[in-house]
Amino acid sequence: MNVSLNWLSTHLDLSGKSIKEIDDLFTFAGVEVEGIVSKGISSEKIVVAQIKEAVQHPNADRLKVTQVDAGEGVLRQIVCGAQNYKVADKVPCALPGAALPGGFTIGETVMRKVESRGMLCSAQEIGLPPGEDGLLILPEDAVIGKPVKEMFDSDTLLELEVTPNRPDLLSHYGMARELATLLKTPLKVMEIPEVPTVAAGSIRLESEGCPLYSAVRISGVTVKESPEWLKGRLESIGLRPINNIVDVTNFVLHELGQPLHAFDAGKVSGGIVVRQAREGEVFGALDESEHVLKADDLVISDESGAALALAGVMGGLESGVTEGTTEILLESAYFVPQGIRRTSRRTALMSDSSYRFERGVDPQGVLAASALAVKLILETAGGSVAGATEVAGEAPVLTKPVALDAARLDQLMGGSISLTDAGAILTRLGLTERADGLWEVPSFRADLQRHIDLVEEIARVHGLANVPSRFLGAFVPASAVDLAYDADLVLRRRLAALGVYECQTIKLIADGQMVDALPLRPMQDGDVIRVKLPLSEDHAVMRPSIVPGLVASAVRNVRQQAKSLRFFEMGRVFRNAGGGKAKDQESETLGLLVSGGAAVGGWNQAERQADLYDLKGLVQALVPNKTIRFVPREREGFALGCDIKADDQNVGVVARLLPARERELDFVSPVYVAELDLGKLRKLLAGVDHVEDLPQFPGSSRDAAMEVAATLPASEIEGAVLKHAEPLLVSFECFDVFADASGVKLAADRKSVAYRFHYRDSGRTLQSGEVDAAHQRMLEMLTQKLGVKFR
Amino acid sequence: MGTGFLMKEQISSIQTEALELIANAGDVRALEDARVAVLGKKGSLTLAAAGIKDVPKEEKAEVGQLLNAARSAITTALEKKQLALQEVADRAALAGIDVTLPGRAVLTGALHPLTLIRDEAIGILRRMGFALADGPEIEDEFHCFDALNTPADHPARNEKDTFYFDSGKLLRTHTSSVQIRTMEGAKPPVRIIAPGSAYRRDEIDATHLSVFNQLEGLYVAEDVSLPDLKGTLEYFLQELFGPQTEVRFRPHFFPFTEPSFEIDVKLTVKGQAPRWIEVAGCGMVDPAVFESVSKTRKDDAFDPAAVTGFAFGMGLDRLAMIRWGIKDIRLLIENDVRFLKQFA
Repeated sequence: MNVSLNWLSTHLDLSGKSIKEIDDLFTFAGVEVEGIVSKGISSEKIVVAQIKEAVQHPNADRLKVTQVDAGEGVLRQIVCGAQNYKVADKVPCALPGAALPGGFTIGETVMRKVESRGMLCSAQEIGLPPGEDGLLILPEDAVIGKPVKEMFDSDTLLELEVTPNRPDLLSHYGMARELATLLKTPLKVMEIPEVPTVAAGSIRLESEGCPLYSAVRISGVTVKESPEWLKGRLESIGLRPINNIVDVTNFVLHELGQPLHAFDAGKVSGGIVVRQAREGEVFGALDESEHVLKADDLVISDESGAALALAGVMGGLESGVTEGTTEILLESAYFVPQGIRRTSRRTALMSDSSYRFERGVDPQGVLAASALAVKLILETAGGSVAGATEVAGEAPVLTKPVALDAARLDQLMGGSISLTDAGAILTRLGLTERADGLWEVPSFRADLQRHIDLVEEIARVHGLANVPSRFLGAFVPASAVDLAYDADLVLRRRLAALGVYECQTIKLIADGQMVDALPLRPMQDGDVIRVKLPLSEDHAVMRPSIVPGLVASAVRNVRQQAKSLRFFEMGRVFRNAGGGKAKDQESETLGLLVSGGAAVGGWNQAERQADLYDLKGLVQALVPNKTIRFVPREREGFALGCDIKADDQNVGVVARLLPARERELDFVSPVYVAELDLGKLRKLLAGVDHVEDLPQFPGSSRDAAMEVAATLPASEIEGAVLKHAEPLLVSFECFDVFADASGVKLAADRKSVAYRFHYRDSGRTLQSGEVDAAHQRMLEMLTQKLGVKFR
Repeated sequence: MGTGFLMKEQISSIQTEALELIANAGDVRALEDARVAVLGKKGSLTLAAAGIKDVPKEEKAEVGQLLNAARSAITTALEKKQLALQEVADRAALAGIDVTLPGRAVLTGALHPLTLIRDEAIGILRRMGFALADGPEIEDEFHCFDALNTPADHPARNEKDTFYFDSGKLLRTHTSSVQIRTMEGAKPPVRIIAPGSAYRRDEIDATHLSVFNQLEGLYVAEDVSLPDLKGTLEYFLQELFGPQTEVRFRPHFFPFTEPSFEIDVKLTVKGQAPRWIEVAGCGMVDPAVFESVSKTRKDDAFDPAAVTGFAFGMGLDRLAMIRWGIKDIRLLIENDVRFLKQFA
């Protein structure tokens, strides 16, 4: 809401308060100051000066050296570049120390070897609307030495954010009332005439959405431009004046917070009917938009049945005041907030009026606002009131007496305020203590319904600055979430140390990204969770996997010429399961992506492109002391799919994007991805229970290079070795794979795989013959089981 | 002349030649050749020494001594030369290393700035005795709004502001729903923090994300008061932003706390005047929230007449932006390596 400081000052003496103080005042009242715009001249050091002499500058063609009388008793020498003045003109003179709107402060300087002690100013230079080129020539009767600011209007516009619980602040009077409380200063008396009222004859209330409606007829009005003061008020808060009648209703809205509406009485046939809209009724609003209404919308109509206005939201195009209007019907009413909010939302019609009604206006202020508007209309548009103001219904009572519990107040405030002082705050806020100790709440504070609401007011006005700080707290045990968090952080740090960057992607993804999803279990129809009203197609689906986000991040980085893509992200993934049987499952996974450079090239090392084994290595390095196995399992939409197994438990999946998909996304290197179950990974992180003794006796190794079919997977060799269960074998590993596609060194359908076997006995040093025998048994087994030929 | 004399002559000349050979050896290999030529199986001194058997008995001791002295001198010379040559070789080997060439590059990685700021905040709050809690991101209206005292026609519930699903569920608009989830499952004292994602139907731009990150806090026990809220949050923010940081509490409004405040810290951004920056919202838990929890629990563990509490929440994305002067919030989700690398 926009508030003009000048307007505010008509209700409250704010003289001597700096903008900073007023800013703080609002801030600590709970009203956020979002902007401050000052208009006019602010500095006192810009004064009226008369030019007594102007001679050519000895060293500059375009400058003159002037002697000016700024009311200081002696003349002041100022170098000036303007050409539009003559000697004896009065102009604004910025004295040394004056702060100009451009953010600089005037000083005494030397310009081309001539002393200049101030600055003669143009309109723009002192913060006024730009005028003719050159100095601002002031009227002849300007008083020499007086601050120029006194000759021009100045005001400060405050852009304020009022919280939804305080509709009473949505007017200048309401704001002033609040500031008066905080400043402990009285409000200026406002003159609102008493207007005779009469029970309504021609108003029919047919809906509970409007408990109170008043209308007054003013005849013989002349619709024309508003007087300057009225236009000025509206313009000071950024409103465009329209005509005197509309301007008065807008003025009263911003003055008292009560929205009004003026109908052209000539377009109203018979009396006013406040009724629910008919389902499907069409309404043409003032802003020329057309709306199909629903039965729960509230309309103001006349006896003919035509909707004149969408109650509290917007007037109708047909019934509004125009230049030809001579008789008006002025509405002031109380509409129930919920109904106004519903209609405003649904029709997307928002107005200053609906904004206030949907937050709740003061029911006791309805008739006063009407009276003020009548007075102002008669003043600005002439005419006369035809009869008394008709009033239908009653002002609803929205407040009730509230108890203030001394013990609970003391507890919450930490004893920082006495009951007497707390009571004084409530009194200043307009509450009154009754004989029975309950507090009567004024009608404009319907937000104060409970004990805690009173405490809030006391705390707010007392200020948290005046409350002591206390440092106490219960001891709490670590939760399961704590343990999971700690484990995740270990994994995050491990991955960062392994040269992987942590990412953060949006959990809403596009349908088109679903092809990159690599959930732990493949998706079925109905498993995807889709938001009902996505912001865009890019964010329509809850991610069932982290991989699509990582792929998108990788694509973005490739476009930026990034060479090495090594990404991970941890977080929630979402799906229904079993074709939608189990709803809204949230689980936590770790996504990994590796593509491009796997080693940084340099003067002493070659660049290397990542392959599947880089990603497998990363997975293995996450839990170095666990045996991780990769079991091939096809994944639709991916190549080289493998389940990741730890202790025969599935913990994740690893794969490569299909080469076609890589080309589609403009990847220049293969893209390897993995998704792991964080819940299972955390368990694998559990450290050792006890350490093993170090071997006391040396072991011995034997190598075996075997020639096998090119298609034989290493896992078969390993499986056979493990199954063989040689008691002396402690470990074995593959150290070379050789194939020759050309078939020269080795048949093209064969490959050579070399393994190293480590033998040891924990109780003694093995004889060379024993190792040879064990190794021989191994080789024979491999020959028998797999048809291996040794090279 | 006797064999003794001849032999003495021979030993003497072998010694002289040997020392000369050793002195002239230019490298380890030449030195080894010299050693073999003198002390090897067929070396000159070895061969000469074999002649001692022909030396008359009375001269044997003298020749033997001479022989030993020669061997000793030669060995010493060999050792000395060996050390000298090794030193030269070492020096040469080290001289070949340009210490100013860059090191062998190792791949770098980094934690995401959100993880860094989240962990810092969590670290402080855990020291202060808060335990972690969480709850679902796909929430129901009850936990996201009703139980948090949010009126049925509150604007935040609008389909334009909140993501809904056909099931009627929604994406939580704040982590405050975890307050309710936690109180439903635990008894006071409750002292938790809940970091997590929240969702609002905001178009993504330089200052808005439709999915963002919050950190929620809740402390409920007997006699929790405004001084507890103030002391806790002041301490937390001074730990996070520095011990001298000024903190102020501005009255505000949230449906689920009363009284409510927004918290500003006074920060100096490089090259700018110090200014107040909003970092968090907080307040005393509204009794209506306790009433709703009690109704769900069907007990009086959270009887508003018996317990009080405070809650707070802050945007982690915003904290990260303040901490590192990040001007565009989208940098936090774009994962540009040039951005991420700065946190390595």
